Amino acid sequence: MDVRAQLVMTFNLDKCLGCHTCSISCKNIWTDRKGAEYMWWNNVETKPGAGYPKFWEDQERYKGGWVLKGNKVKLKAFGKLSTLLNMFFQPHMPKLEDYYHPWTYEYSKLYEGGEEDDQPVAEPVSLITGEKMEIEFGPNWDDDLGGSPLYAENDVNLEERRILHTFSKLFMFYLPRICNHCLNPACVGACPQRAIYKRGEDGIVLVDQNTCRGWRFCVTACPYKKVYYNWNTGKSEKCIFCYPRVETAQANACAHSCVGKIRHVGVLLYDADRIDEVIKAKDADLVEAQRRIILDPNDERIVRLAKENGIPDSWIEAARKSPTYAFVKEYEIAFPLHPEFRTVPMTFYIPPLSPILATQRIAYEVEDYDEIPSRESLRVPVRYLAKLFSAGNEEIIHEALDKMIALRYYMRAKNLGESFDESVLRKAGLTPESAERLYKLMTLASYEERFAIPPAHREYLDAKDAEMRKGAKGFGILSSTRGGV
Amino acid sequence: MLDLLIFVAVPYISIALALVVTPYRYFSGRLTWSAYSTQFLERKTLFWGSVPWHYGVILLLAGHAIGFLFPSAVQSLLSNFSTLLAMESIALGLGLLALLGTVILVFRRAFTGIRAVTEVADWIVILLVLNQAITGVYMGLFARWGMEWYLHTAVPWLYSLLTLKPNIALVSGLPLMFKIHVLGAFLILAFLPFTKFVHFLFLPFGFLFDPPILYRWVRDRRAKRI
Repeated sequence: MDVRAQLVMTFNLDKCLGCHTCSISCKNIWTDRKGAEYMWWNNVETKPGAGYPKFWEDQERYKGGWVLKGNKVKLKAFGKLSTLLNMFFQPHMPKLEDYYHPWTYEYSKLYEGGEEDDQPVAEPVSLITGEKMEIEFGPNWDDDLGGSPLYAENDVNLEERRILHTFSKLFMFYLPRICNHCLNPACVGACPQRAIYKRGEDGIVLVDQNTCRGWRFCVTACPYKKVYYNWNTGKSEKCIFCYPRVETAQANACAHSCVGKIRHVGVLLYDADRIDEVIKAKDADLVEAQRRIILDPNDERIVRLAKENGIPDSWIEAARKSPTYAFVKEYEIAFPLHPEFRTVPMTFYIPPLSPILATQRIAYEVEDYDEIPSRESLRVPVRYLAKLFSAGNEEIIHEALDKMIALRYYMRAKNLGESFDESVLRKAGLTPESAERLYKLMTLASYEERFAIPPAHREYLDAKDAEMRKGAKGFGILSSTRGGV
Repeated sequence: MLDLLIFVAVPYISIALALVVTPYRYFSGRLTWSAYSTQFLERKTLFWGSVPWHYGVILLLAGHAIGFLFPSAVQSLLSNFSTLLAMESIALGLGLLALLGTVILVFRRAFTGIRAVTEVADWIVILLVLNQAITGVYMGLFARWGMEWYLHTAVPWLYSLLTLKPNIALVSGLPLMFKIHVLGAFLILAFLPFTKFVHFLFLPFGFLFDPPILYRWVRDRRAKRI
């Protein structure tokens, strides 16, 4: 057993209101630069929808992720030889228009333009060429259009497209996405220059800007399309899990600014020796296989092995308090996004409950459904959620939804002082105590409870030159980015 | 005089620049070390330019290198006329492929949206490369059996350069196109450390043998616990 630790984020989709505050705080800090204008390391998309970049989930189009061939897991896009043959042109890489052409407005015209007969206007100009442009697509162009046939119908997870033509069956929810900092990252596997790596201590996947030569295989390989090519520096970039913040025990910018408090960050311990088991599991077993390699930080044996592996005490302590461990492993209500890409993603989503399906018939009978509906009557089809979060395994999604519904029953009865049948909780796998703990974690958790982030202890990791490093650390490309005469 | 410039001065200056500036850039400005792909902004034309160019030039460069490294072996191989004919035809084909690619790439630089990311250095790179393609193909067509005479002129001259006893007499009688080709080749070497030409140094081969997932540890994994 090889015990390792990783910082993991969970998203409670029930609480996401689609405000994009996370995306904006991320952009302001990291991607407000030339060449990075189009990048949204954190983005929020409306589901069902085409997403960002358009149709990113469609791996027949972009060839991202790994595929299981016999007993071997291989990159879907390229083998090693074809990597060498495709260095000069990436056939499956998305182009700028698949994200969007970034623009700004000529604001200066508003106050610098001379006196004219007409109102001055600020026309859109391209942030790449500087020329005037027609805006045809943008980030979140399909925001809130979960019912629109134009974008939502192209959602690859939507099996029953007719759903969009029946008004009473329409549904939508928001899906915030960052880099998943996978255990089996396809971007790392695809990089011929070996510029992308996973940090051993905290599992953060980074692109070494000094080593990257811009071959762009990572962009193709990441099935989540979370590695971006910077057209100005000629190198790839991605979400860095705000490592300068989390190393000092601060929450990631996106999580910190989250208005709905949907994000929790904490440590997960896992067994690196068994990653192989997970990536070779059958589709329906993928989530459970991944849960199996996540280790219990209260188990004495695991703690001993973790310490032997050099995991600091503060990290083991944080793992015990980890909200992500509670959601993913104890309550089993958080799921990885598209586990069938076999990258073993390490961000987890609590699927949304949703309003009941109000068909004409049951509108009259809504009282029969009690105050809180059963999972069969939820608007978001379980089949759809299973396609997103469990590689088609509806059973485990059912279990999670049942838990959350039982929790609602219980808390409602408690708040109103009504009697409550505890067997409802037990059937869902909860007890009054565990239900209350889950309720607190999901609703009332304080900053420290939501973000159990231990410091990285860099001062000890490289104690020799800690003094030298003081004041010398930071992010930014200070030299000119393009070589040239 | 011109011969002295092309066959002695420029080569030595270029080699010196490449040897001195390349490591300097590697250690001081590796953030600029990239192939600067523009595929993200324009891909349709790029396919027809980049792929033929690279496939053509890589094999042709390999041919030049093999002739330079193993002249006698190549000589005995080419002593069979039909082999020589076949090899020359293949080389000419590859040259035409590379020429087609560069011409397309020049037009792409000039007329498509990638103008926004084009700098003087990009023009220097592409025009030098175009020069090599044009002069190379010209020699393939009008100065036949270049493979053969390359071994008896350019290769010994290159060795004389390396041994610091440059022998211009070996190459001074060759046609002007050859001289331009040589001048272009050494200018490429001179500009290499200053432009995106650096992308063909440190080509990635290590990944062929590595395990797929790369980890980096800040600390020694078995070091003392905190």
